[in-house]
Order: sequence, then C-alpha cells, then structure tokens
Amino acid sequence: MQDRLQEALKVQDVEYADIRVEDLTESWVSYRGPELNKIGSARTMGGIIRALWKGGWGYATFNDIGDLRKRVREACETARLVGGDKSYFESVEPVTDAISTELKKDFRVIPLAQKKDLMEEYNKIVLGHDRKIQTSFVGYADSFKRIWFASSEGTFIEEENPDVNIIVTAMAREGDIVQHAFETSGGREGFQTVENFHEKAFQAATRAVELLSAPPVVGGAYTVIANPRLTGVFIHEAFGHLSESDFVYENQRMRDLMVLGKRFGVDGLNVIDDGSLPGGRGTHRYDYEGVPTQKTYLIKDGILTGRLHSRETAAKMGEKPTGNARAVQFHHPPIVRMTNTYMDKGSAKLEDMIKDIKLGVMAINEAGGTTALEMFTFNAACGYMIRDGKVAELVRNVTLSGNVFEILLNIDMIGDAVEWLPPGPKGCGKANQRPLYTGLGGPYIRIRNCVVGGRQ
Amino acid sequence: MKIRRKDKLSERIVGTALRKGADSAQAKILSFETDEVNFDDDRLKSAESSQRTRIDVRVIKDCKVGFSSTTDAYDIDGVVGRALEAAEFGSVAHFEMPSAHHLPPVKTYDPALLPLAKPEMIRLGRKMMDRIKAYNPEILAGAELGKTVTQAEFANSSGACYSSEHTFFRVGAGGQLVHGTDILFADHEIGQKKRALDVDAIADHAIGYFRMAERVAPIQTGKIPVIFTPHGLSVLLLSLMLGLDGKNVYLGSSPLRDRMGKTIADERFTLVDDPLIDYGPNTSAFDDEGVPRQRLALIEKGVLRSFVYDLDTAGRAGAKSTGHGQERRYTNLVISPGDVSYAEMLRGIKNGLLVHQFLGLGQGNPINGEFSINVGLGYKIENGEIAGRVKDVMLAGNAYDALRNITALSREREWVSESGMFVFYKGLFPCIQVGELSAVAK
Repeated sequence: MQDRLQEALKVQDVEYADIRVEDLTESWVSYRGPELNKIGSARTMGGIIRALWKGGWGYATFNDIGDLRKRVREACETARLVGGDKSYFESVEPVTDAISTELKKDFRVIPLAQKKDLMEEYNKIVLGHDRKIQTSFVGYADSFKRIWFASSEGTFIEEENPDVNIIVTAMAREGDIVQHAFETSGGREGFQTVENFHEKAFQAATRAVELLSAPPVVGGAYTVIANPRLTGVFIHEAFGHLSESDFVYENQRMRDLMVLGKRFGVDGLNVIDDGSLPGGRGTHRYDYEGVPTQKTYLIKDGILTGRLHSRETAAKMGEKPTGNARAVQFHHPPIVRMTNTYMDKGSAKLEDMIKDIKLGVMAINEAGGTTALEMFTFNAACGYMIRDGKVAELVRNVTLSGNVFEILLNIDMIGDAVEWLPPGPKGCGKANQRPLYTGLGGPYIRIRNCVVGGRQ
Repeated sequence: MKIRRKDKLSERIVGTALRKGADSAQAKILSFETDEVNFDDDRLKSAESSQRTRIDVRVIKDCKVGFSSTTDAYDIDGVVGRALEAAEFGSVAHFEMPSAHHLPPVKTYDPALLPLAKPEMIRLGRKMMDRIKAYNPEILAGAELGKTVTQAEFANSSGACYSSEHTFFRVGAGGQLVHGTDILFADHEIGQKKRALDVDAIADHAIGYFRMAERVAPIQTGKIPVIFTPHGLSVLLLSLMLGLDGKNVYLGSSPLRDRMGKTIADERFTLVDDPLIDYGPNTSAFDDEGVPRQRLALIEKGVLRSFVYDLDTAGRAGAKSTGHGQERRYTNLVISPGDVSYAEMLRGIKNGLLVHQFLGLGQGNPINGEFSINVGLGYKIENGEIAGRVKDVMLAGNAYDALRNITALSREREWVSESGMFVFYKGLFPCIQVGELSAVAK
C-alpha cells in the first residue's frame, strides 16, 4: 500500500497533497425490547485525497481505490479552482511509522452468535427487572480499521484502530411518565471490555424505575454540584469546542474573545487536552495530518493558555500544531477536534462543597450535551436536590444551560479526583462528523447561579 | 422507471445468495457522484468531488433474517457470505419479500442539473455571500452548494427489480455574527431534485433571521403564546415522529399506541408523508425493501390515521408496510397550510415568542412528548411585532399538549431540512402558533 499511495502522489502538482485510505470491518448486534433488533456486519473501503493550492483545498473522496492517480489529479484540479490566495500550512517533520494494536480478546474471531448471546443476557436482566420496565435497548458494535496515510512531504503512517462498545438502556413507564437510564462500556483493548456488564445492566434498570417516582426539578437558578462524569461533558461541550481553533482563526471577534492570557475562572481551574494520554479513548500517536499528539493546557490556573490546532490553523495564528486534526471516516477531511479533554483535579472534598448550600441541585451523569459557542445546554441523567447542606430527594429532567463564559467564572470549588467517562457508542459530533471518540473527564465541581430547566 | 434486464448487478447478487442457500434475498445498490463547494468565514474554502458505492444485501434462511453491506462491487461472495452468517442468528422474519409492482410515476431526475459544474456553483455561492455581506459586512458569511447524481437499483428473489436515477441540488447560505460574548448563527438551506432555484431568495431568507436579531429583547419567565417557524417545529415533530413510528407502537413505547382514529391534535392539523411530490427532496418511487411508495395521511384534521411501518415491523404488528423502508424513514412530511397569514398571526400576539432553532434537540425524553430545551434562535413578540432576539431562554412543555393547543397555522409554507442526530426529515410546513408554553428566562 505504501508504494501505491506514494506512486499516486507523484502526479500531484500543487503545494501539498496527502492520501488517506481506510479499510474498515465492523459488526453489530442490538436488542430492542425482547426482540433482536439488528445483527450484521459490513466492510467499507475508501479514501480521501487532499490537495492544497494557494489557500484553497480540493478534496476527492472515493470507495473505489482502483485509480488513485485519477483521484489525485481530480483533487489537484479542484484545489486550483478554489485557491487564489496564500496558503497557511505549518511544516512538520516527515515520519514513517507503523502502529499496530494488541487486542487481549480479539473481537474479530469471536462468532456473531457469542456476541448475540452476551447481549441477550444483559437484555434479559433489564427486561426482567421490574414490571415497570417498558422496553430496553442493548447495542453492541465493534470495528477494526486499518488506516494508511501518505503525504507529498514523504510521511507514511500505517495504523490499526480497533474499537468495541456497548450500551444498555432501560426504559421504564408508569402512566404517561417514561424514564430512561443507560450504562456504557468498551474501548480499544478488546472484547473483554464489554464482558461482565451484568451488574451495570441491573443498575440502569433500577435507576430508570426509581426515576418514575422522582419529581421533575423546579426550574430556576441554583448552586449546582456537577459529578465528575457531568463535569467531563460540560468541559468538553461548553469550553472544549471553543478551544478548537477552526472556530477562531479567521474570526477576529472570536480571536478577541479567546485571547490567550485572559482570565476564564478561579486560580484552581485547569483544563487539558491530551492526545498522548495512555489508554484514552481519544489517544493516537499521530493525528490525521501526521502530527504527533501532545498534552496541551487550555486553561492553566484560571488563565486561557492554549488551544487546539491543525497545521492550517496553527500557521494562521502563528502558533504550533498540537496534533488535533482528526476525521471520523475517510469521506471527511480532518478538522480540529478534541482528543482526551478533562478538567484537572482541585483540592475540595465533596462534603465541603455541599455543606453550606441551602438549596441546590446535584446533577448526576450525562445524558447528552450540545453547544452553539457561547450557549450550551446539557441534560443530566438525574439529579438530587441539596437542602440545608445535605443531599435530599432524587429529581428528574435536570437540564443545565447558560453562557459558558459566565458559568466558568461561577465555578468556585473543584473536587480532588478526576474520573473518566466510560467508553460507549456515543461520540462527539462536529461538522457532520460523528461519532468521533474522545476521552472526557473531570472532578466534582460547584457552580454558583446556574440555570436548571424544568416546567414552571 | 421500471427496467427489466437480467444482467443487473443486484439480480446477480440475489442469484448468488439463492445458490449459496438463502431461501429469499434482496440486494440494493446505491452509487452516486457529488460535487460540492464550501464557503466559510467569508471565503471559498474548499471544493470536493466524491464517488460512493454501497451494496446492501438481506437474506432470509430458515425463516431468519441476515444483513451485510460492502463498498466493493468485487466482494459479492464476501457480502453474501456475511449476510448468511448473520442469518444463522438473525431475528425471525415476519415478512415475505414483495413481488413486482407497478411503481407510481414520479419525477426525480432533472437533466438540467447535469452540466452544473463547480465553477458555476462557485459563482452562485459568491452571489449569496455578496448579498449577505451587503446587508451587514460584520457577518462572517458562509455558503454551501452541492450537486449529486445517484443511481439506485433493487432486486429481490420474488421478482421485484427496479432502478431509478436521481439528481439532487442543495443550496445553503448563512453566517455568524459575534458581539462580545454574544454569538449568533443563522442560515437557510433548500434541497430538491431539480435545478430551478432562486439563490438570492435563500440568502435573503438567512438575512431575515439576522435582521430580526438586530436588537436583543429581554423576556420574563412565564407562560406565553409561541409561534414555531417551519424550522422551529422540529421540537414538536421529533416527538410526533417517534410516536408515529410503527416499531415504537408495536413495542408499546409510543404514547399514540392506542389512539388510532382518535383526535390527538387540533382539527386544523393535518400531517401527510408524501414521497410522490415531483422533485421533492426525498421523493422516490420505491423504498429500500422494494415496496412502492405511497402518499400516507398520518394525522388528518387532528385525527390519528396511520403509523409508519417497514415490512418486518408490519408483519409483527399485523399491519402492512407503508413503504418507509427498513428504517421507517419519513420522506417528505407535509403539514397543511392554515387560513391566516404569518403577519396576521404575529399581529394577534401582545407578548409572545417566535422560536426557530433549539440547542440539544433529542436529548432528554422526547418519546413521551416532554421537552425542556434551550432556544438557540428565538425572538420576542411584542404588540404584534418582532421586538428582538431572546437570549438564555428555555422552552418547556409537552409536544402532544402543544399540538392540541394550536391556535393558528399560517397560509405560507416553506421547505425545511433537518439532518441532526435525532431528527432527520425534509418537510413542507407552515408556521404554527400554540396557546401557551413555559418560557424560563435567566
């Protein structure tokens, strides 16, 4: 493959070109209610060529890898239609590398029947838990991707990228009230990461039933404690996306807003993106432009100190590439994405964070989140009221929203341990590229004056 | 539309599957080429050519279903083999593959789109960008144009064998405006299967959302009347689409499961799924299971008339496939227009909210209709006029209650396209006014 890609790149006549070819095999099993919902497998092969000419990008994407030279020429012609300015593209050292992975239990040799039987076990736990369980969703997916990347600068990287994940969702119903709860697991290490999940399946079912009798939270502004998993989602959604330089680099007003050196929070606030973190969901040796990944401080001691870059955004902003150009699949060019993003631990003990809250909300676990730059909204899986310094009753419909710049400044206490979200099928979405797997983590945090949505 | 030739790849795949032991089989092949141009941050950023092939194979063996897909036309043995492997453990088939039918005549192919090349798409994009910049040079403008030509073929072992060609033209324009910590996004997009399209009108539409947002209007927490723009209806339609999904009905999770024939919405509310609109964005003559498409009334004058079914779910539920394919995807959703103009609707509101976009759609618990969602782009209505954009507002309520509390639908309608993670449809909708909903302001 190395020869084929490098041979094809010889016909390029632009400033820079690269090819990425992927060969993906995947399989899946899912149950919805008592019935098997889906079972199957697929093989996808395809690639993308990128060509850069005078600041313009031409892309050619394809499933048919038969005539790569034709595709290279096509991308170059397209780039010439687009270009007309000056290219910004930070240079990096060419590398040749091969990254293979060790799977403890290789899901590729496990028969579909065995995957199905395991999911059936989890599904039965959920469905048999309580008569209030209305239905379930249990999903399993694995994928093994081989990626070849070659650039006109001489870089060649070959990488194996395995993933396996499950989600167990319980849906409980009583009258018109329907409540969900879910648990996920998985990772890159192999099939064992989705085994022995029976206890978690039981917990999901238990929580869905408990939520039926929980009242909806009364909407309003509260002091909120976010648990570590929710902090991870918050810092990813509300702040992390603002650190992706493609939002910023050609937007003078955003550049003013995100000026390095500006205060974003209390002294103890540290936010980090680290694509080199061993074992992380978003860990890679190189990004999809052949740039080595690294640990980047986004906020250090409350001050904005860094941001995430591709080679283009780094050159535009006169900063260094950070190895954050990633793509979901071959039909997408790499864009600036997070890798493993977390809020670092502080020193506060949870009981000290709660003890002087007269009326507040403890928001537990993620149920999704999204952002449009300054405004964010995300749902907690559930919550507890905090009354007179004590954790009180379970509540549902806990949705947090607001302006991220204000909320970050309102964080006044940061817990003393970081926890990571368990891997699952859900990933980050941006510019129609979803799901991209990222690591999300953080400690308990306390936010003053945070809007919690609910019905009046 | 209906071509019968024995050497088609889809028929060869079906033949291979039967030879390898399948009791019945279907093959669907989709291949398309797309050209697109992309303007962002005030300039032409990239252009792309793409070529795609996808082959989906479904088999039934010993009454069990198996599925696999590939992108490789030379991998027929592989894809058929994997489908048969899956069938060993597959779910029990509650259907038979449909035989050949006469297909409804629909227009999905406009030869005028074929000569449209990237330089012309670039010119049209610039035109929209210039229009937006002429309104307000501070808007960071963007635009996207894409043209796709698709060949689809389908064959099964019951003798159905169809093929069709489609053209698709997608044009969008918009931008973002940043003031201090305030960031405003707005855009407008149209997709259709023909070329004739007014790009200036698309740019003007996007500009309209910026124009209404020139001022920020504070809003107070309370119950107020709400107008949903055609785009803003997503929050209501998300729940309705889940509720009308035959699989959710069969599994008992749809709150509409025992409401067939009953009134579930205001009598002015009629919702039809119509795949037979000529050149409509999702128009086609057959679905991916080889079932002919049909116009389907879902809710007629407020009365629940039909759920949507695929073959297998229909078989389980004792219903018939409605031609919505294996995933039960809606095609072109159409809501009947009302009898007031948008301007009249607005004039009748003293203190209210016009909602256009939401943040975080699909999170929480959409199936039972409940929503509590951040308004991404919305406007305050004051004394019959748009007073300005609202900020940091959440809208809470129940979609089914809202549909019963419709107070007006506009005569004007427009096409919208939703392609988010949880909501996926194209539709032709009016603006809809709903009695009162909770708005929570910070």
